[in-house]
Amino acid sequence: MQQQEIHDFLLTYFKANHCEILENHPAYLTIQLTVELDKELMNRPFYWHYLEKTGGVPNPSQLTLITDPQQAPADVKGELIHFGSQRLHQIFASTKKLAGFIRLYEEIVQKGHAQSPLYPWLSINAKISYQSDRKKDILLSAGLNLITGKIIEQFHERLLHIQVTPKIPDYSFTLSPLIKPKSGLLRLDSYIRRTFEGDDHTWAERAIERWEDDLRLLENFYQDMEDKAESYYTEKVALQNRYEPNITISIVNGGLFYLSNQAI
Amino acid sequence: MQIRITFDDEWSEEFLDKVENDGPWANWELYKLAVQAENHLAIPEFEGLQAPHHLNQLTPLPHQLEAARQVVENMNGKAILADEVGLGKTIEAGLIIKEYMIRGLVKKVLILVPASLVSQWAFELNTKFHIPAVVQRKSYVWDSYDCIVSSIDTAKRNPHRDIIFKQEYDLIIIDEAHKLKNNKTKNYEFVQSLKKKFCLLLTATPIQNKVEEIFHLVSLLKPGHLGNATLFSEKYKGKGRTIYEDEHLKELVNTVMIRNRRADTGIEWTKRHVETIIIKFTPTEQALYDAVSTFKPLSEGAGSAFSSLTLQREACSSREAVFNTLKNMSQKHENPAPEFIEKLNNLFETAKLVERNSKAEKALELIQKINDKVIIFTEYRATQLYLQWFLQQNGISSVPFRGGFKRGKKDWMKELFQNKIQVLIATEAGGEGINLQFCHHLINFDLPWNPMRLEQRIGRVHRLGQTEDVMIYNFATENTVEEHILKLLYEKIHLFEKVIGELDDILTKLDIGNIEEYLVDVVEGSKSEGEMKIKMDNLSSMIQFAQEMKEENLHAATGNS
Repeated sequence: MQQQEIHDFLLTYFKANHCEILENHPAYLTIQLTVELDKELMNRPFYWHYLEKTGGVPNPSQLTLITDPQQAPADVKGELIHFGSQRLHQIFASTKKLAGFIRLYEEIVQKGHAQSPLYPWLSINAKISYQSDRKKDILLSAGLNLITGKIIEQFHERLLHIQVTPKIPDYSFTLSPLIKPKSGLLRLDSYIRRTFEGDDHTWAERAIERWEDDLRLLENFYQDMEDKAESYYTEKVALQNRYEPNITISIVNGGLFYLSNQAI
Repeated sequence: MQIRITFDDEWSEEFLDKVENDGPWANWELYKLAVQAENHLAIPEFEGLQAPHHLNQLTPLPHQLEAARQVVENMNGKAILADEVGLGKTIEAGLIIKEYMIRGLVKKVLILVPASLVSQWAFELNTKFHIPAVVQRKSYVWDSYDCIVSSIDTAKRNPHRDIIFKQEYDLIIIDEAHKLKNNKTKNYEFVQSLKKKFCLLLTATPIQNKVEEIFHLVSLLKPGHLGNATLFSEKYKGKGRTIYEDEHLKELVNTVMIRNRRADTGIEWTKRHVETIIIKFTPTEQALYDAVSTFKPLSEGAGSAFSSLTLQREACSSREAVFNTLKNMSQKHENPAPEFIEKLNNLFETAKLVERNSKAEKALELIQKINDKVIIFTEYRATQLYLQWFLQQNGISSVPFRGGFKRGKKDWMKELFQNKIQVLIATEAGGEGINLQFCHHLINFDLPWNPMRLEQRIGRVHRLGQTEDVMIYNFATENTVEEHILKLLYEKIHLFEKVIGELDDILTKLDIGNIEEYLVDVVEGSKSEGEMKIKMDNLSSMIQFAQEMKEENLHAATGNS
């Protein structure tokens, strides 16, 4: 992740969270945090607890984040932020936490006063992780049309080109879904599972081979022992934890989108 | 093949809740950012390293990156990192921890290191790797933090021990792991019973003396990799260090061990300059040396196995060291024979007559001339105390350093030495686990008889980050056992100029189990100076022969390629 991209990311994050940007220098940002974001990022629960108990005037922190240490003026004091820094990863985690669920409507350029219908879609951005003693992630964005049952991939990329709004626009109306959200989720789940069924899973076979090899060695090591030592069982569990292949599907975020017929 | 699949139900439930309650819903800008962040955090491949992209203040050296890659890709996260002293094993370990954390394969990490290194590990992990490692100070720390650095001696004791066994650690790291070479110790038993999903053992000297040591070390990491104890000893017992001759075994060990040598790293190292300084005893010092040389306690009681060698070596260091041993001897016996007491008293009297310490005077002169930071190593605590007093008398302040110090004290001593004090006086046990590359003068006030220990000493200053040539001054008193050893071990075969890997190789070529024991044997078992000299010469020829063989091999190898 380039420093410029990080700078833009931070700017968007703080603006979206209604923080006042005190300074937006190309090399750094100074932000006046809101009470909510101070609680979210600054890790000072005692201060806020104390304040609530005494009814004092809240004084949320300011934060200066330096994105380009070479260009930043020498007198600017702040945190150096880069990919891998704990602050950035805290903000990543916070973003994910604050943006898990959404509902949006397409904003259609109106021709006259005709009422235009919006179709309900259920979308999720999922991360599929292949994991044994190694790991690989695959990101997948899928959208399910809750009327037709049609499923479309790279749904998120498509959404990026559509004008959306959190309130239902005038002169638009939503069509009622035929598929309930709950069963929609089940459909998407089984759809995602099918996407990787046909994948190359030699990674899992190899992991099991490595597991079996190590198990053989372990048995051999303790073969002379009638009553196996505790460490034998511990090691056996450790091998399972290390090698056993599994696939996890976790949801980054998702939600309901009401879109016109032409949108997707 | 059936692979377990889990789906994130939590999200689904919360989502259905929001639908039910009509929100609250997220902001579109943030929603897009979350996807963007996830795109950056996703691991694109099973292979390769992600960690370097996350570390912008650190540029690892090529051999360090390669080591980390090997451990993750080919060793499945269980390895002995056995680079020579000073090549940055900590950096390699840090890279591996980071890689596994980024990949989400490791969350809880336990790092067990010598007490003197605890703070340094935590500091490096935090600053260089952005890993929030915490120093274990209170017992509640175990539960509340994911990455903990502790000394093994604290960890193995209750209440810590019980708490540790309740934690689910994903990665366990043990620094200075050669201390676990003996499978009968409490520390070994402790580490063996820890659950090791991933595990790194760090040591610069994977084999010091016996072939069993590597067996125990590997068995800790990967039980069965070298077979079981019975089979192993049947196959290799008595073969001593020729273990490395056994191609099969070598190959097996190499699948779990990474050993970079200085020569292979392609890094420019500063030079080592070695100066031997022969010191003449004063008449009274000579008298003490002669007296302890002929000292034979009674055949019974004090033990006929008692060696006057210990006293001789001490007499070469300081009369205080001799005093100490004599005092212990006199206290050990409840009803000593009058003859024994008389002998001891005579020695005490002779020792009392020693009015100065020639070595200490030489050291003082040298320190004044160097006029820069100096480390003095001695084998004896009594000498350490004396030297500190002696230097103080002459207006030079110094700090002591030894293995028994608590962690905080070690840090403090190092800090003082780095910023305020000219001289640090360390005993053997302080030789490990302190990094002093800001200093480049080292005085060996007396010499250890195990060359690997000497290498540990030098490794404190001659390591990555050292910018100056390193000056090593070896003190030896004339016409003593010390001079013999120095001549043999360190001069004839140029051991000081050797880098550690070479030394290790050469010693493995010799079928001498424990070189220190062997030397003691030579010195004690010889009936005359002449016999000792011949035996010593034999040993040095053997070492030279092994060295030549190695060089020939090297030539042959390069010729073939």
